[in-house]
Amino acid sequence: MTYLDKLRPGQSARVIGYRTDGPVARRLAELGLTPGRYIRYLRDAPLRDPLHIQIGSGSLSLRHEQAALVAVEIEEA
Amino acid sequence: MERRASSQVGSRELTIAICGNPNCGKTTLFNALTGLSQKVGNYPGVTVEKTTGSFEVENRPDLRFHLVDIPGSYSLSAFSPDEYIATQVLCGEIAGAPRPDLILCVIDATNLERGLYLLFQAVEVGRPVVVALNMVDLAERHGIMIDRIRLEELLPGIPVVPVVASKGRGIESLKSVLAEVADRPNPAGISAYDDQERQMAEKLASQATGQQRTNAQFLRILFDKGGTAESAFLESDEAGRRAVLEDFRRIITEKYGALSVGETGPLTQRATTIARAVVSAPTGKLQTKSERIDRILMHPFLGPAILVAIMIFMFQSVFSWAEPAMHFIDTAFGSLAGYVEAAMIEGPLRSLVVDGIIGGVGSVLVFLPQIVILFLFISLLEDSGYMPRAAFLVDRLFGWCGLSGKSFVPMLSSFACAVPGIMATRTIENRKLRIMTILIAPLMSCSARLPVYTIMIAAFIPFHSYFGLFNSRGLVLTGLYILGMVLAVLISFLLNRLLFRQERATFMMDMPSYMTPTPRSILIRIYTRVKSFVARAGTVILAITIVIWALSYYPRPQDLAAEFDRRETEIRNRYQSSQAALQTPVLESSARDELARLNLEEGGTYLRNSYFGRIGRFVTPAFEPLGWDWKITMATLASFPAREVVIATLGTIYNLGAQEDETSSSLIDKMRQARWEDGPKVGQPVFTPAVALSIMVFFALCAQCGATLVTIRHETAGWRYSLAAFLYMTILAYFAALATYQIFSRVGFL
Repeated sequence: MTYLDKLRPGQSARVIGYRTDGPVARRLAELGLTPGRYIRYLRDAPLRDPLHIQIGSGSLSLRHEQAALVAVEIEEA
Repeated sequence: MERRASSQVGSRELTIAICGNPNCGKTTLFNALTGLSQKVGNYPGVTVEKTTGSFEVENRPDLRFHLVDIPGSYSLSAFSPDEYIATQVLCGEIAGAPRPDLILCVIDATNLERGLYLLFQAVEVGRPVVVALNMVDLAERHGIMIDRIRLEELLPGIPVVPVVASKGRGIESLKSVLAEVADRPNPAGISAYDDQERQMAEKLASQATGQQRTNAQFLRILFDKGGTAESAFLESDEAGRRAVLEDFRRIITEKYGALSVGETGPLTQRATTIARAVVSAPTGKLQTKSERIDRILMHPFLGPAILVAIMIFMFQSVFSWAEPAMHFIDTAFGSLAGYVEAAMIEGPLRSLVVDGIIGGVGSVLVFLPQIVILFLFISLLEDSGYMPRAAFLVDRLFGWCGLSGKSFVPMLSSFACAVPGIMATRTIENRKLRIMTILIAPLMSCSARLPVYTIMIAAFIPFHSYFGLFNSRGLVLTGLYILGMVLAVLISFLLNRLLFRQERATFMMDMPSYMTPTPRSILIRIYTRVKSFVARAGTVILAITIVIWALSYYPRPQDLAAEFDRRETEIRNRYQSSQAALQTPVLESSARDELARLNLEEGGTYLRNSYFGRIGRFVTPAFEPLGWDWKITMATLASFPAREVVIATLGTIYNLGAQEDETSSSLIDKMRQARWEDGPKVGQPVFTPAVALSIMVFFALCAQCGATLVTIRHETAGWRYSLAAFLYMTILAYFAALATYQIFSRVGFL
């Protein structure tokens, strides 16, 4: 198990849960990063932050700081 | 919104609230339903826009629907008052916005699960719900198929209407479904929550007997630890209610592991279950077209390069397309003024109409070409889906000073004109970030400052070439722009640390699929914005212009008037007597010239002696450390409603009349020849490079734009931030100009 910000471009993972239980966690859930969803890490911004992930048929971008709150399980391709 | 009494017997007016995720096409659908009937206003006390409109249904003359737009959201759980508005509108808590009779929930077919999440919150309100399943064409192209029949089965009591809002498909069937539901309204009978939670909500409801609230609100209160909903509930009977609330929360936390999971969990679960049953999407690594485009537009090198190119193109367009149009408007108003001047008798009324009203209205309308073009670009960027990508690329840079990537386009637009830039901050959901962006946007040197820069640089900055590549004039111009940017960064840094106390803002952004913007949607958007700008700014600026006109026109001392009359008569007599002696036409034109010059001198004298002139001279000692004489001070003061006015005012003060612009060589000559009339520098030139620099620095940093201040007021629902912007920028400008003059008058390198 690792956290979303530790992934590298191209890796797929499954969301397990969150490190906190506050408004940020709720926002993440609302945006679709709910436990059980599959995501694919797409890229970092030119200056590293924020990062871009694919989720379902859409995608999200968030800062490493928030990504660090999302616990994931890497799926080997 | 008042229900208008209908003249038809048995006709009804119903209110529909339309909600949906951001980027789900809700606005497009809203436009498709209401067209130009839409009106944009504000909810009291918050910065959220209130958009309303109405429509009728074919073959149903007895029905009229009023549509209220709820700001796009992923959920109704709100932290800030802005977000809470969505819930309040749905539950009918807002004065002037009656509780909706129906809820229209727009769901993006390519993201059903997320849309269902919001839907299940909306059903708790207890009103009939209709789902518009939008962008079904896009879904099909992605290979996503949705079993609509099965979906309706799983959402009993909620009709699902597939639409393609951007192409106008399904609109008529949506309207007839809405009509059917209006005939037989049934609150959506489903809920994602367990009986236990719903009973808790009902228990809370029974406690709050005085307050009329819906189930949805009580559920919200249940989960809203430390938030707006909770505090509203705990307003009275604190101890008793709080105890019950804490107890319920304890139970929920035990059941779900965390309070927030208690709120989101059931919703997510239900949404996921339904989506799985109803959506068939190709599994595996489907590379969508958006992803392919993203590879280029978000590429580490190409991405920023393309972004810069788009920026440059945007500016080029403003300067090449807007400028001629603005010139045209300027000239047109000038001709109108001339025509009226010729048609009316001289006197205060004529002056009021020509200088005050026509001048005032003209100065507002001259903004339009820029605003239209900038809004065109902004709308294209937003509707196409590119905006989040741009924010993604620059977020790191902005994050350093406490802003986010979403501030990028507003700030960029402000380089051309702060008015659309400030309006574009609506995409920033975080209220503090939004206000910060609004406060520093005017520091970006807008196009109205350019004429001031141009004339001062051309007249007073000596030309030196450096390294064969740069020259002193270009450097000064660039320096002025950079000055604004550097100060903007510093100020946002300070604001962040001192006032807004932001723990590094969260930045989570949905990246919508790329879409081709619809011309209709964009045109409606531009039209609505421009209309509201003209109405708002127009009235305020017109009022200010008239006040300044009055101060500049009066008093008209009798002795001065008599003196000018005498001189005019003297010229005419001289001309007539020489006409009798010889009949040379030369004399006629030179007499006309003399009369014209006299006229201008008269104008200048009146201005200098007016109340405004006296105020200017009174205030001048405060500006002497900046190196300014009273004429400069007065012209600057006059330009507080609108910067460009300074050149025309200088023109009048120097007896050249008000039609001077930055290319006027006669004004430049006059300024070069200007000498101090008294004081320690008597006899020396007024305009030195140091003085020119201090003038330009002042204009670069000062908030001399009534339109901007009015726009800030509108976007922040109050004058507080307009006042703050005005004060901080004026103080900043003053001291920066002071420092500039003091330094550069001593350092003699220019």
